[in-house]
Amino acid sequence: MKTMAIVVRDDSYDKLLTPLVFAYLEASEGCQVDMLFVNWAVLALTEEGAGKIKIQGKYADQDQFVREQVTKIGLPNDINKVIKALKETGKVSFYACSMASNIFGVDENNLIPEAEGIIGASWFLNEKAVKADHCQYF
Amino acid sequence: MTNKLTKTLDTCGTCCPMPLVNSNKAMKDLKSGEILEVIANDPATCDDIPAWCKRTGNDLLESDTVDGRYRYLIKKA
Repeated sequence: MKTMAIVVRDDSYDKLLTPLVFAYLEASEGCQVDMLFVNWAVLALTEEGAGKIKIQGKYADQDQFVREQVTKIGLPNDINKVIKALKETGKVSFYACSMASNIFGVDENNLIPEAEGIIGASWFLNEKAVKADHCQYF
Repeated sequence: MTNKLTKTLDTCGTCCPMPLVNSNKAMKDLKSGEILEVIANDPATCDDIPAWCKRTGNDLLESDTVDGRYRYLIKKA
């Protein structure tokens, strides 16, 4: 596998971890990974939004515990730091969905520098997802 | 014949994805034919390391368990 596309829609801490870890694994093996953040997940591509990410719903009270476990296994427990680590592989590109950006107040001013930019879903689907060797949706 | 190690990576205490992430990083510093020794205590590496070697073309020379730790010798392709 040389290319993988991942679409992420949820901004709950635990639900972001899996796609980020999969991207980290593939990128470290030399695979180009393109990630599109849609819906609430687009907030992960802002420093303020990433800082507010928590586990939600019925597992909300487990947030601190999960972060401690994540630290133990050797990963940064902060989403922004995970994104930085992925970026350092040189193999992961982060894209913010334009519709989600409009809805949730993400623009070029608050987008983290690790992100490639704000793009339309159509472009991502046609240029990245369709052409990728493998595609995942979270 | 004894395999001459080029580098040892101790991943004990970490688990998926870090043993593979760090093995990949370590492998980048090696030249073709050089050997990386990976020590791990994550049981998932028993499947992950052979699969990774198969995919990357690196040669898994040995895998065994020493004192409850998994040990892999991997020759860079």
